[in-house]
Amino acid sequence: MLTEFGKIFVFILLAVAFVGIAIFAAKLIRPHRPTQEKLTTYECGENPEGTPWVQFNIRFYVVALIFLIFDVEVVLLFPWALTYQDYGLYGFLAGIIFLVVLGIGMAYEWQKGDLEWARPKPNIPYLSNLIKKNTDQTSENIIVEQTETNQTT
Amino acid sequence: MLQVGLEHFLFVSAILFSLGIYGIVTRKNAVMVLMGVELVLNAANINFVAFSKFGNFGINGQVIALFVIVLAAAEAAIALAIVLNVYKTFVNINVDEINKLRD
Amino acid sequence: MDLTSLNNSLRLITPEIILSIFLVIVVVVDLILKSNKKVIPYLAVLGFAVTGIVVISSLDSSGFAFITASTSSKQFGMFAHDPLGGFFKLLILSVSIFIVLFTITSSEIKQIHLRSGEFYALMYGMVLGMMVLVSAVDLILIYVALELLSLSSYVLAGFTKLRDRNSEAALKYMIYGVVSSGLMLFGISIVYGLTGTTNLYLINSLLQGPQINILTLLFAVLLIMAGVGFKISAVPFHFWTPDVYEGAPITITAYLSVASKAAGFALLIRVIQIGFVSFVGSDGFWNLIPVFDWKALLVLLSVLTMTLGNLSALWQNNLKRMLAYSSIAHAGYLILALATLSTQGVVAVLIYFIFYALMNLGAFYIVMIIADRTGSEDIDDYDGLGYTSSFLGVSLIILLVSLVGLPPTAGFIGKLYLFIAVLDAEMYVVAVIAVLNTVVSLYYYLRVLKHMYLTKASDSTQSVRASGGEKIILLLLVVPTLLFGIYFQPIVDFTKSCITVLGV
Repeated sequence: MLTEFGKIFVFILLAVAFVGIAIFAAKLIRPHRPTQEKLTTYECGENPEGTPWVQFNIRFYVVALIFLIFDVEVVLLFPWALTYQDYGLYGFLAGIIFLVVLGIGMAYEWQKGDLEWARPKPNIPYLSNLIKKNTDQTSENIIVEQTETNQTT
Repeated sequence: MLQVGLEHFLFVSAILFSLGIYGIVTRKNAVMVLMGVELVLNAANINFVAFSKFGNFGINGQVIALFVIVLAAAEAAIALAIVLNVYKTFVNINVDEINKLRD
Repeated sequence: MDLTSLNNSLRLITPEIILSIFLVIVVVVDLILKSNKKVIPYLAVLGFAVTGIVVISSLDSSGFAFITASTSSKQFGMFAHDPLGGFFKLLILSVSIFIVLFTITSSEIKQIHLRSGEFYALMYGMVLGMMVLVSAVDLILIYVALELLSLSSYVLAGFTKLRDRNSEAALKYMIYGVVSSGLMLFGISIVYGLTGTTNLYLINSLLQGPQINILTLLFAVLLIMAGVGFKISAVPFHFWTPDVYEGAPITITAYLSVASKAAGFALLIRVIQIGFVSFVGSDGFWNLIPVFDWKALLVLLSVLTMTLGNLSALWQNNLKRMLAYSSIAHAGYLILALATLSTQGVVAVLIYFIFYALMNLGAFYIVMIIADRTGSEDIDDYDGLGYTSSFLGVSLIILLVSLVGLPPTAGFIGKLYLFIAVLDAEMYVVAVIAVLNTVVSLYYYLRVLKHMYLTKASDSTQSVRASGGEKIILLLLVVPTLLFGIYFQPIVDFTKSCITVLGV
C-alpha cells in the first residue's frame, strides 16, 4: 500500500517517463538529417534578423487583457451550472442575466474599437508617393545634419 | 503511514504567502509586485480549499476560491492596464522612480 | 429549493438592483450616443436619486437577504438590510449626486467628454461596491464588494490622463490597494479555517467558545485590518493618500475622501460590532469577546493617524495635498470615536460623517473652481483671492472654520458629539491629544485664509468668477454647514433613529 506521498512519487515518475519515452520514441522514428538551417530560430524560413526581444505592438496586450477577463468570468458559470436546475426558471434567468451583462461588456468593447486591429494603411508604391517620400527623406536628413552641427557648436 | 494532511497544504500556502510578500517588498518593477500579489491571493485560495476539504465546512471554501480566481483576474487586468498607461507616460515601470508626487 | 426566501432576498436588495440596472443603462446609452454625451451625467443623477428614494422608503425595515447560516434561534444572511446600512447608503448616494454635479462643471472632466460614459459607469461601479459593502455581513461578500469599489476607483484615479500625475496616482493607488486587499483575503482565509464560516454572526458565536487559537486569530485580524485601514487611510496604511489625492482629478479626490472613507468606516463598525462584541450593556458600551483588544488597537491607530495627518499638513503648499492630510487627520478623529466602543461613539461617527461630507466636498469644490480658472492648486496663487472673488472667499472661510471645528458651524457640532462620546468613555488622555491636534489643525487651515485675505495679490493672480450653476452647488453645501451649526437637532435625531435597531 502506497502512502499519499508515494502516490505523488509515482505520479512524478509517470510524468517524467511520459515525456522521456515520447522524446526517445520520436528520436528513434524520425529521419536524422541535420543542416545549418535547422539550427536557426524558427522564423518562417527567413534568416532571423535582430534580437528576439523586440517590443510587441501594444494591441497584443489590450487584446490579451480583454481575453483574460472574459475567459475567467466564465468560471462563475460552473457553480451556476451545477445548481440552476434546483431553482427552475429563476435559476435559468439568473444565468441568462449574467451572460447578457457579459455580452453588453463585449458589445461595449467591440463598439469602442478595442477589438479592431489598428492596421497601418497599406502603402501602395505609386510613383508620386515614391518621389514625395524621397524628398521627405532628404529634407529630414538636412534637418538632422543641422541639429548635429548645432550640437557640436 | 504518512498522509497528506491539512498541515501540508497550509505549509505550501505559507511558503507562497511569504514568497509573495518578499516579492512585493523587494521588487521595484510594478509587474513583479503584481506577481507577488497574485502569489498572496493564490496562497489564500489554497487555504480556502484546504480548509473546506479537511475541516468539513461544506463546499463554501471551494466556491469562494472560484470567486477569488475571477477577482484576481479582473484585478490583474486592470492593474496591467494601469501599468501600460504609466509606461506610456514615464517609459519605465519602476515603482520607486515614478515619484513626481511627493512632499 | 426555497423560492420565497429568494424572492425575499431580492426584495431586500432592491436599491442595489436598481443601481445595477442604471449602470447597464448608462453603458448602453454611452454606446448609442456617439458624440453628444451631455445627457449621461443627468441620467446618472437620476439613477442615484431613484435609488435614494427606494432606500428612504425602506429605511425602517430590517432583515437578512441570502440566508446562508442559522443557529438554533436565528437565521443569518450574507447581507443585512438595516437602518445603519440605510444611513450609509443615503450618505453615499447624496455624495455621489454632488460629485456628478461637480463633474458637470469641472473642466478636467469636460476635456474627456468623449469618454464620459465610461466615467459615470465606473462611478456606478464604485457606488454599487460601497452600497453592498456597508450592508455586507459575510467576509467574502465584503471582499467582493471591496474589490468592486477598489477596481473602479483605481481606474477613476487615473482617468483623465491629462498629466503625468494622473497615471502616477492610479499606479500608486493600485499597488497599495491590491497589496492590502490581498493581505485582507489571506486574513479572511485564516478566519475561515479557524471558525469554518465567513459569516460575521456565526464567527461571533464561535469566538465565544473556548477553543479558538488566540495567536492565529490575532494575526488574521491584523491582516484584515490592513484592508480596512487602507480604505479609511489610517496610519500606517496611509502612504497612498496624499499622492493619490493630489494626482487624481479633483472630483474623484473629493469622492474618495468622503464616500469611500464612509464605506470603510461602515465596514469597520460592522466587523467590530457584529464579529467581536459579546453583548451591549444598558449604558451603550460594548463588551468585547476577550479574544482581541480592539480598544487598544483603535486608540493607537487613531492617535497616530490624527497626529501624523495634522503635522504633515502643516507644510503643504498644494491645497489638494493639504486637504488630503487633513482628511487623514479627520479619519483619526473618527477612529477615536469608534474606539470608545459604544453606541454613543457610533452615533458620533455618523453625525461627524454627515458634516464632514458637507464641508470636505465644499472645500474640494472651491479648490476645483479655482484650479479650473487659474490652473493651479498652489497656495501662493490664492494670494488676495478673498478680495477679487468675495463669494468663494467667504464660502471657503465658512468651510475651513467648520473643518477646524469652531462654532457656529457644523464641524463644531460634529466635534462636540465626538468629544462627549470620548469623555463618556473616560478616555481623558486621548481626548487631550485630540484637542491639541485640533489646535494644530487651526494653523494650516487659517494659513489658507491668510493667503486669501492678508497677502497682497501678486501680478500673476487672476480674478476668479464662479458661474451661476457653481454658486448654486456651492450654496447647497455651505448653507447647510452653517445651518446645522445652529439647528442640528433633526440630524442628531435621525442619526439616533438609525442606531436604535443596532444590536447584536
